[in-house]
Amino acid sequence: MRRLAGVDPAAARLGLFAGQKATDAAALAPELVVAEAEPEADAAALGALVDWCVRFSPAVAADPPDGLFLDVEGLSHLWGGEDALMADFRARLAANGLAPRLALADTPGAAWALAHFGVDGTIAAPGDAARWLEPLPPAALRLEPALAAQAERLGLKTVGRLTGLPRAPFARRFGVEALLRLDQALGRAKEALVFRRPPSPWVARLAFAEPVSVPEDLARVSRDICGELCARLEAEGRGARRFELAFHRVDGLAPALSVGLSLAGRDSVRLAKLFAPRLETIDPGFGIEVATLLALDVELLSPRQRRLDAGAEAALEEGLAPLVDRLANRLGEGRVWTACAMESHAPELAAARAPALTAGLAADWDPELPRPLRLFRRPQLLEKVIAPVPDDPPLQFRWRGQLHRIRRAEGPERVAEEWWKHAFEETSPERVRDYYRVEDHDGRRFWVFRAGLYAAGEPAKWWVHGVFG
Amino acid sequence: MSDFRAGRLAAVRARIAALEAGGRGDSESLPFGDPRIDDKLPGGGLPLGAWHEVFGEGLESETAAAPAAFAALAAAPLALRGAAVWVLRRDDLHAPGLAGLGFPPQRLIQVLARDETEVLAVMEDALATTGVAAVFGEAEAVGLVAGRRLQLACEKRGGVGFVIRRKPYGGAARGAAIGAAAASRWRVAAAPSEPAAGDLGLGPPRWRVGLERCRGGRPGAWLFEAARAFAADVLRGKTDGTHPLRLVAELGDRDLAPAQSFRLAG
Repeated sequence: MRRLAGVDPAAARLGLFAGQKATDAAALAPELVVAEAEPEADAAALGALVDWCVRFSPAVAADPPDGLFLDVEGLSHLWGGEDALMADFRARLAANGLAPRLALADTPGAAWALAHFGVDGTIAAPGDAARWLEPLPPAALRLEPALAAQAERLGLKTVGRLTGLPRAPFARRFGVEALLRLDQALGRAKEALVFRRPPSPWVARLAFAEPVSVPEDLARVSRDICGELCARLEAEGRGARRFELAFHRVDGLAPALSVGLSLAGRDSVRLAKLFAPRLETIDPGFGIEVATLLALDVELLSPRQRRLDAGAEAALEEGLAPLVDRLANRLGEGRVWTACAMESHAPELAAARAPALTAGLAADWDPELPRPLRLFRRPQLLEKVIAPVPDDPPLQFRWRGQLHRIRRAEGPERVAEEWWKHAFEETSPERVRDYYRVEDHDGRRFWVFRAGLYAAGEPAKWWVHGVFG
Repeated sequence: MSDFRAGRLAAVRARIAALEAGGRGDSESLPFGDPRIDDKLPGGGLPLGAWHEVFGEGLESETAAAPAAFAALAAAPLALRGAAVWVLRRDDLHAPGLAGLGFPPQRLIQVLARDETEVLAVMEDALATTGVAAVFGEAEAVGLVAGRRLQLACEKRGGVGFVIRRKPYGGAARGAAIGAAAASRWRVAAAPSEPAAGDLGLGPPRWRVGLERCRGGRPGAWLFEAARAFAADVLRGKTDGTHPLRLVAELGDRDLAPAQSFRLAG
């Protein structure tokens, strides 16, 4: 059976409603135009809206299918009051073609109830939510529709009547879930919202009377906003490892830049310098009206002591860390690393990449197992190999068009595959490698291996996996 | 000559020396610890505050393993003092191998650049940074302007840079002698190792190293051996203070002839 998923204002005036059978609706309004519901597109649009709302508050949680929660605690002074904040929010949503129902209350539950069943635009004063909730129907508590209907059948037509009931019988009749919803609405129980991104209280916001778009203005804005946030971080003795600078455009898009630091920092000049070369990638469109800077991965950072005999520590702070940050932000994070030891039998996995300047990296490779200076990403097949069977290193081979006669060799070092990582059927002796370190008459040293075990009648395959210096 | 005049002259000389050294006083050097090579180098060792060109020939011009090994070991004593930065074009430098040769890998920062210009730009940036003891870069060629910029960056803090010449696999050779701005130019090739008598397998790695050009020094050729290859103490950052490169012998000109390559029919 096909049902209406949503109706526009004109259809609503004709008496159509969401959830109505499509055939009934067509009977009521023969000229009805229907379009297929697209829940995925709706969800994506809600996600985009949540991202856009970050201009108002860093803590935004989607409430599918059609709602969202905005945590505005401690933010309203930026607009000059909660009603001004709400008016601005409404005006901007309307400018994007949305007709929101808004409510502001102490708890997400109460705000949800007022937005869905109360008067649009209600602002419940702190501690006043219970009074506002009283006249609303039980469905306002986000109960299951069946439960809400049952409550109404029992004559409990308002939330006020429900709150008056003794708790134990209430829980017995309607279930613990319903009691929890009631408590959440009244602020007696905590509710966890899934914020779109981790809420960080470390946010700075600059709004402009006139939209800006000139590159020089963006540079100045990024300097100012970095200075503002870094001053706060400094005052609280914190530093952050990641900063996100978002430019909110007039048309609702918010292109963002992100920089990472190798050590937590709060040096505004350095931070602005990291943003500066990438500002030109920002397309200001018709202008930018708000900029926000968000600090993530905030950690304690004690004030630095300027010492004359500052040694390695100071060099790290003043030289290396900014260098690594510059490189990582200019080239990309995967392109700057320090190798660290990894427990693996596969030689190509033994050196893992760790972010540069990570403290306490293990570099304890086994010195008994010589490894080449250059390790090829893929072993290269050797041609014209002459090697005594079954288990001897090659006497000569051809590689890259050049014949190498082997003078000395040592090995083998048998490297078996990591069979515990695969299904039993996939393991095979074919994947055993016998590595030899060989040296040709000119002194070039190669790391070659034979794939698989010796099998009579089958020519062995030899590969070179790396070269020693 | 009056004392006054002598004093003025000495002051002017000192100023000129300071200007020539790019604002630094005495230019430092890092001795190899053997008079057979140190006597030929200006200041009795590998000059710091300058960059050096290291290259190999034949197969080594593409793999650049022997030049990289020599450069790493020549700078290993510096790498114990501070961080080292290695700028790569191809991501095939294997840290365990570097550690095995005797280069402390704990404070080696590897950077993968996208193109040649970026290699030189990153090198320049790293050389001018406090706390970076040595910078290695793998580049095909260094132009005169880029070389001069590297030199200025080296002089800023007295850092030492190594440009390891390396061309892409299968790439055509480009201008061979573009290292005019480098303080020295080293040709490095692997040499057959000599294991101790009765020892099976390979001996410590050896290199035939030719100093082709050196500002303020004399050219020469030597046979070096990695003194502490595949030893446990280096991996833990411990050393006995000796240079990881041991000079085995000084070579005459005829020893420097390029190794013959076998060409067989078929």
